[in-house]
Amino acid sequence: MGNLLSYIVFIPLIAAAVVLVLPKKMESSYKWVTLAATGFTLVLAIIGILSFDKDLSGFVGSESSLQLVEKTEWFSISLGSIGSFSVDYFLGVDGINLSMLLLAAIVLFIGAIASWNMKKKLKGYFGLYLLLSSSVLGCFVALDFFLFYLFFEFMLLPMYFLIGIWGGPRREYAAIKFFLYTLLGSILILIVMIGLYNSVYDPVRTGELAGYEMTSTTIEQIQALVKSGQISKEQTVKSFNMIYMADNGNYIPGSILDNSVIKEVLGQPARWMAFLALLIGFAIKLPAVPFHTWLPDAHVEAPTPISVVLAGILLKIGGYGLIRTAFIMFPDGAYHYSWLIGFFGMVAIIYSALNALAQKDLKKLIAYSSVSHMGFVSLGLAAFTIEGATGAMYQMFSHGLISSMLFLIAGVVYDRTHDRLIENYGGLSIQMPKYAVFVGIAFFASLGLPGFSGFIAELMVFLGAFNSSHVIGAIPAWMPIVATLGLVLGGGYYLWTFQRMFLGQFWVKKKEWVPAMKDLTPREYIMLVPLVILIILFGIFPSLLLNLIENGMGSFIEHITASINP
Amino acid sequence: MMSLLQQGELASKLEGISTDLPWLLPEITIVVTLICLLVFDLIFKDKKSYGIAAISFVGLGFTFFLLSLQWNQVTQLNLFNGLLKLDRLGILFKFVFVIALAGSFLMAINSSKAKKDFFQSSEVNTLLYGVLLGSSLMVMSSNLLLIYLSIEVVSICSYALSAITKGKKKAEAGLKYLIFGAASSAIMLYGMSWLYGFTGTLDIASQEFILGIQAIDIIPLSIAGLLTLIGLLFKLGAFPMHIWSPDVYEAVPIPIINTFSILPKLGALAILIRLSVGMNLSAIDWQLWLGILAMASMTVGNFSALWQKDIKRMLAYSSIAHAGFLMVGLVANSQSGNEALVFYGMIYALMNIGAFFLIQLLENKTGSSLFESYKGRGSELSWLGVLIVIVMISLTGLPPTAGFNAKLLIFSSLFEAYEISQKPIYMLVLIFGLINAVIALFYYLKLPFFIYLKTNGSQSQLTKHKPYELIMGTLLIVPLLLLFFRSDWLVDLANSINFGL
Repeated sequence: MGNLLSYIVFIPLIAAAVVLVLPKKMESSYKWVTLAATGFTLVLAIIGILSFDKDLSGFVGSESSLQLVEKTEWFSISLGSIGSFSVDYFLGVDGINLSMLLLAAIVLFIGAIASWNMKKKLKGYFGLYLLLSSSVLGCFVALDFFLFYLFFEFMLLPMYFLIGIWGGPRREYAAIKFFLYTLLGSILILIVMIGLYNSVYDPVRTGELAGYEMTSTTIEQIQALVKSGQISKEQTVKSFNMIYMADNGNYIPGSILDNSVIKEVLGQPARWMAFLALLIGFAIKLPAVPFHTWLPDAHVEAPTPISVVLAGILLKIGGYGLIRTAFIMFPDGAYHYSWLIGFFGMVAIIYSALNALAQKDLKKLIAYSSVSHMGFVSLGLAAFTIEGATGAMYQMFSHGLISSMLFLIAGVVYDRTHDRLIENYGGLSIQMPKYAVFVGIAFFASLGLPGFSGFIAELMVFLGAFNSSHVIGAIPAWMPIVATLGLVLGGGYYLWTFQRMFLGQFWVKKKEWVPAMKDLTPREYIMLVPLVILIILFGIFPSLLLNLIENGMGSFIEHITASINP
Repeated sequence: MMSLLQQGELASKLEGISTDLPWLLPEITIVVTLICLLVFDLIFKDKKSYGIAAISFVGLGFTFFLLSLQWNQVTQLNLFNGLLKLDRLGILFKFVFVIALAGSFLMAINSSKAKKDFFQSSEVNTLLYGVLLGSSLMVMSSNLLLIYLSIEVVSICSYALSAITKGKKKAEAGLKYLIFGAASSAIMLYGMSWLYGFTGTLDIASQEFILGIQAIDIIPLSIAGLLTLIGLLFKLGAFPMHIWSPDVYEAVPIPIINTFSILPKLGALAILIRLSVGMNLSAIDWQLWLGILAMASMTVGNFSALWQKDIKRMLAYSSIAHAGFLMVGLVANSQSGNEALVFYGMIYALMNIGAFFLIQLLENKTGSSLFESYKGRGSELSWLGVLIVIVMISLTGLPPTAGFNAKLLIFSSLFEAYEISQKPIYMLVLIFGLINAVIALFYYLKLPFFIYLKTNGSQSQLTKHKPYELIMGTLLIVPLLLLFFRSDWLVDLANSINFGL
């Protein structure tokens, strides 16, 4: 139990090594290894959630708000004049990342099932899939910035090869575009990371180094000592700890990102610039308009299971990263730019919905609907209200499930005909009635019908965004009002697509496709049924998830609003 | 009376020389090995290859052993009345040189083509030992005269090395290298004579020099600094003196490129570190200069590398870009900046040895170093391909490889410098450098891209690599991963250097 999170992160990695070692003769066992590893992590993640004490809440800048904590020193480097910096192996969960961990475990498991029919270069595929799983899970639980960045970057490489080798016809272009876009974002994050660790110290280690007994001295006392100069700058121990970075008291007085004095970088306050860099870095991952153009390419070219993982989890890392780093560490910057974030969230919702309306390729349509739905995350976060933030989190979770299902559905028809053009199909409900039912559920869930999880999320985001203008004044009320148009458009493109593909006379473009158009196989049921159950479950009993996250999101909002005077 | 006194002085000087001589044992070993190689070649007629290989490796092993004895004894020593400075910076770089040269010999053994050149007669190995000798002196010299001499030792051996193996391309590359090198040496010498004229001392680490340089006007000092810099930039392979390197890299055998890309580069860097101590205190904005040169090197190197069709040329431009990254550490002008630079230098050497070793393995099979010829070879090169991906990722500077730590340290020292002085050039170099990493990704991924993502055009099957080749390759790559997780091991070594700031 003590090392639960480590097991979750490293079991896929060990499984990857197993896949690598197993000889080629046992090729058919790779998928079983993958399934077992992802299944086991899912079980462990559920155990972790069951043991999670949801009543525990605390200041986001203090380690007491965390559970399942694992912290040991990884390495520390002493660098002459700047004192020393230490990197920790630091994992933990709180209300902010718990739901993301669960989502990742679910989607990776579903993705493993979806990989069942992979034919080419199996060793490479499953090895990379497991590497990707490990880094995704690690990214959500790592609380040391260095460790987080390691997992964040390490995700790119397996993803590049998974798209580039097993993808569709334009896979090379899509893979390198994905890699370059995301790397550009992570470079911006890296710059801020360097700035942060130059500015933040570890109060516990600093206290120990300065000779204080840390059992009797509190962190606040150490902070006061550093502030008054009794502990000099050279004695401080720099830290990558993301939890310490959330506490303004842990910034070295006079350092570039210190809240008490405003320093300027390139003519702007340094903290605002740092926020902006993090915002763009994670917005590329999210993806937020106007940094979204890699996503449709990557989705269209990626094989089905990889699309599922990409839409289901990787995009959420963007949202999670915004919350964990940008908003928590630089609430002043976040408030300053909230109008912009909200505005681009609104634009994303409308513009991507319009784009989706114009798509001929089913997967591209789903990709644009993803961008549109991630716009709600931006809007919810920009609102600076508890409803908005919780809604954004809920939307990430719910969209993870729904978009996974949507891509699986697109995969079903692509598996049969290797064609995804909407216009090439008609009246499929006659030939494949059960498939049509699942498509209907997925489409309605995605367009936000009450009873499905997406409805709860979007409702909360709208509530939060409407309230924002009179509660805290972060974004004006016309933004959510315009954004509601996105719901109408969402209804439009989904219903229109459903009508074209599934209603009317049965018709497919090529005659040879007709025998292939069989209804769902047992394996496809195994993937789709659990997702449907979860989507409906979280739509009808939102408290299941809200109970877990509300304390975390509550202290998140409390923290980010505390430093602002509306 | 006068003559007696002079005699006494002379005696003490002579005595100084004899007491200082043991400190030069590693260099003496190099010279002895060099002579042994020559003599051995003269005495025996044929079947010399085992003997030559044995002498080459034993010489390196012994040098390494002597260096490790020195490491614990020395922090900083002035030898021969200040002609040479033996400090930990020099010893550390000498370790790197020995390892790099051992890597070159290993590559030569593995190569079907270079084997003959290296081990049938001793010329190539002798010249490589000459480069080692010159570079070892470079990292120890803080005297203008000795700087020039050691650079010339390296240069002359390098000219010969680049032209020694037959072929029109090699002759062209050798000639280009020679003319370019001779011109830049002459320019540097002229610059040094100005510096000597201004300060009246040859020792760039002495107080006299540092005080003298502060008294000079900005314009003459700028001219002298620029001229001196030209020669160093030539050895460093940095913009604007980088033009020779792609041609030379393309023409000469891979083991020799490996040496060229590490030894003279780090040697020049050590000199630049020592020169910067004084220059930073002078009237010119030395950091601005270095910053601009670093940015130009990175950008020119990276953008030119993008368009290459030949792996060796690509690596040549990549080494130009890396010269820029190395100079970033100097821009910061701090203890931590220099430490980061030394760390970067060590990691750079490791990455280059690994990369060239793997490229050599590839070239052995197909006889070509064009990207095109590795299209769709992923299934044939399974393990080697993975190693190549790791080394390329490390060269780009992404986790989980030591290349990331090197970039992180060097840029955080720059950030720290920015925090203290708020000079915009620091921020500019920081942003520029990191954006360059994105550009670099594009071409470093080109080889994995061709190996894995392209489909195979040709039908011919590659013969499999021998297990020992793959094991050696793996052993060269493992440190890159290991040092990511424990970079403190090397940083601690760099920590103990006193840069005299």
